[in-house]
Parts: sequence; C-alpha cells; structure tokens
Amino acid sequence: MKKHLIWILPALTGAILIGLWYAIIIIGGQPHYVLPSPWQILEACVREREMLIPAALRTGFAAIVGFVAAVGGGSIIALVLASSRWVHRAFYPWVLVMQMTPLIVLVPIFVLWFGEGLPSITAITFGICFFPVVANTTMGLISTDKNLLDLFRMSNASFTQEIFLLRMPYALPYFLTGVKIAGTLAPIGAITGDFLAGTASTYAGLGYLVQNYRSQIMTAELFAVAFVGCIIGFIFVASVNFVHWYLLHNWHESSLKADH
Amino acid sequence: MERTKISKSPQVILKGLHKRYGLGDTVLKDIDLEVGKGEFIGLIGPSGCGKSTLLKMIAGLTPVTSGTLEIDGKTPEAARDQMSFIFQEATLLPWLTVHKNIQTTMRLHGVDKKECQRIADKMAALVGLDHVKGFYPRQLSGGMQMRVSIARALSVSPKILLLDEPFGALDEMTRDHLNEELLKIRSIEEWTAFFVTHSVSEAVFLSTEIIVLTANPGTIYKKIFVDFPYPRTAKIRESPEFQRLVSEVSHHLRSVDR
Repeated sequence: MKKHLIWILPALTGAILIGLWYAIIIIGGQPHYVLPSPWQILEACVREREMLIPAALRTGFAAIVGFVAAVGGGSIIALVLASSRWVHRAFYPWVLVMQMTPLIVLVPIFVLWFGEGLPSITAITFGICFFPVVANTTMGLISTDKNLLDLFRMSNASFTQEIFLLRMPYALPYFLTGVKIAGTLAPIGAITGDFLAGTASTYAGLGYLVQNYRSQIMTAELFAVAFVGCIIGFIFVASVNFVHWYLLHNWHESSLKADH
Repeated sequence: MERTKISKSPQVILKGLHKRYGLGDTVLKDIDLEVGKGEFIGLIGPSGCGKSTLLKMIAGLTPVTSGTLEIDGKTPEAARDQMSFIFQEATLLPWLTVHKNIQTTMRLHGVDKKECQRIADKMAALVGLDHVKGFYPRQLSGGMQMRVSIARALSVSPKILLLDEPFGALDEMTRDHLNEELLKIRSIEEWTAFFVTHSVSEAVFLSTEIIVLTANPGTIYKKIFVDFPYPRTAKIRESPEFQRLVSEVSHHLRSVDR
C-alpha cells in the first residue's frame, strides 16, 4: 500500500463518520443533552479543562501504579508457577478461578480493606491487569523448546542458568503479549475503579467526573471524559507497543517487517 | 590421508541395552555395540526403531532401562562434558547473534569470555560463517542455521558427536555440501560420531560403519562396514562401489521396513 494512503484513508473515514453524526442530529433533531455534536464535545473539553486535566492525571497515575504492580507481581507469580510442574498443577486452577471472579463485585470489599481513593483504585487496576501477565508469562516459561532444554542439560547448566539464560528470554515475547493486553486494560481499570471507589475528597479521577456529570445530565462533558480516556489509553498502548518493538525487533517474528 | 585408525579398546560400549519408556512398549532391545575412537557410526532404520532414543541414551538425556552403556568407562551423565549433540533443528537461541550462539555451550562450560570469542571466531571461519557473525538466526537459511549449530557443537572440542538427523530438513544439494564439509572438519578434529539419518547415501558417504535397526522393538539387524578411505570427496558418490553399498543398505532397510 502506498505510504500516504495510511493517513488519508483513516482521515477520510473519520470525516465521513463525523458527517454522519451531524446528519443524524440534523435529520433526527436530537437535543444536545441526548446527542451533542462533535463541536460541542470539543467545546466541553476546553470549558472543563480545569476539571479534566487533573482528573486525567490522577487516572493516568493510578493506571500506571496498578499496571506496574501487575506486571511485576504477575511475572513473579508466573516464575513461581513455572518453577515446577507440581506447583503449576496445584495453583494454576486457582489462578483461573480468581480470574473468573467478577472484580466489580469485590470493589466494596477493596474499599473496606484499603479505604476509598487511590489504594482501592490501584487494587482494581492491578486485579484487571494481573491475569493476562500471569497467564501469558507462565505459558512462555513452560513452553521452552525441549531441544534447547536438552542442549542446556548436555552442558550441565545450573537451574539459575536455565532460568535466566534460556527460559526467561524464551518467554519474553509471551510476557510482552501479556503486558500489551494489560496496557490496554490499565486505563479502563483505573477509570472503573475511580467510578466505583473515587470520591471528591479522596481521589477525583475521570471515573469520578463521570458520576458528577451524569447527575447533572452534562452529556457533552461525558463525551469529553470518554475522549480524554481515549487519549490516555492511546498513550498507554503506544508506550507498551514501543517497548515491545524495542525489545523484539532484532530477532522476533512478531516485530518483523513483512518484506524483510 | 589414511583411514582413521581405530584404537584397540573401544570408547563406547553398549551391552544388552534395553529401553522402555515407563510401562509402554520396549523401544530398544538387546543392543550390543562397541565403538572405537574416531569411528563414524551411521544409524539407519524405519521410523519408530528408536534410533533417536539410542542417541539420547548415549547423551545421558534419557535413562537406560537395563544393560550397560559406558563411555570411556564412565556413565553417560558423567561423560556429558565430552559430548556434543546436534539436533534435527538448528536449535539456536533466536535472541542471540550467530557469534553469541556459537558461544552458548562454551559459556555454560565455564570457558572465559575472551577465549569464547576467540574460539567462536575460529569456528565461524571453519564452517564458513565469517560474513554473518552479527546476524540473528531468523536472517539465515536452514543450511546456514545448521552450520551455526555445528560450530556451537564443535566449539567445546567434543570427543563424541551425536547427530540426530541434522540435515533431514535441508534440500539435497545443501545436504551433500554439508556432508562434505563435515568430513573435512573431521579430518582436522578427531571425534567419534553417531549419526542418525533416513538417507542411505548420506549414511554410506559419512560412515565407517552403518547400523541398520529394526522397528518395534528396535534391534540391530545388520552392521555394514564402509571401507572407503578418508578423505572422501563428492566424487566418491559416483563410484560403482558406492552405488553397490547404497543398494545393499537399501535392500536391508527394505527388508526390515515391512
């Protein structure tokens, strides 16, 4: 595909979608509190910037803390799970059970344990990001090429050599896939957490703003929050993708150009 | 050069060797084999004859069920540091460059960094990888990857080389070429080889002795000595004696593969 088309095509579809949006408003005659126009949303973004920017920073911060904790904690748990087949058999089903538990139900319990605001919000983000990291990293650690393991055994490699020189680098692409999924979930987790456990006095992030605007039927402002959340998500995903590319582009198939 | 001298006392002794995985079928039965230093043993047989298992037992990667297996009077596990294994696939670490890949086994053996690099350079030159030392495995063809694998195996100066169908996945031209190079290297470095293959002509070209195995359970059906002198060159493949041996081995192989 020609290079400039990569930009022109999405811009074109975007323009068509916005046109459709206006068409619906004009033909359908929806009032602005049901369906605000893109321009009104943009206006709301500017008007509410003093609310939106600090809230976005809070949400972003909570997302980063929860995400980093999940990546760190998830890798450690994955290492433990992969350390022996017995540990894996004994604990992995329980990891899955935990993953099946609807996290939202646990929010009041988190609030009870950790208090309202940042600690609970981070805990929720952590809970959402944790499992993809654990599942993918464990998978990577236990699916090391059998021949490579034999090669290491032939050289009388120690357990730590096997872990650090073979299993961990081998699991890196899997781990990074988990991190990528966690990266897309982290901002959603933070906003959800904020929505359920954020208060004006403790931690007023984007989720709290949603509560606030909803009660006043400020629809354009709600769209503005979604827009800002979208930007946070984009920054997260772009950063994580960059790390993925940076670590793998030399050697891994997933980061190769199609025409290498 | 003369044919490699075979010393009086065998280096590898297999006596009444049995192998069974768990409670399953017997994979190998009554394997008796004495292999002298510098011999090149070609192992050939139908699939399921346990030839790869035999190789793994010699390597100490899977335990012997009963019988004896001695390497220089030691158990396979104790003799591991004198052996190198070359797998069916190149089995490289994809995140390391060719140069670093050649060094992996040496590093695990505790060879110091400078020495590793020096030997890796030497090995890369030996197998014709000089110009791709900085490449990653994915940038190389199957044949080139196999060369890296060979260089890595030879870097620790093994006394015994175990090769499990190393050229099975390559096209015939590349395979013939690598066969010739393997023998060229063998004339410089002295090692005993156990070479599993499906290709009769490859076995005849490389081996001092070919072992034909039966399947289910794997037993030794026939031992065939190959008396061509080394160095063997590509030309030898055209000689009538070579053709005769190929058809003899093929004949035996057909009679066990029913």
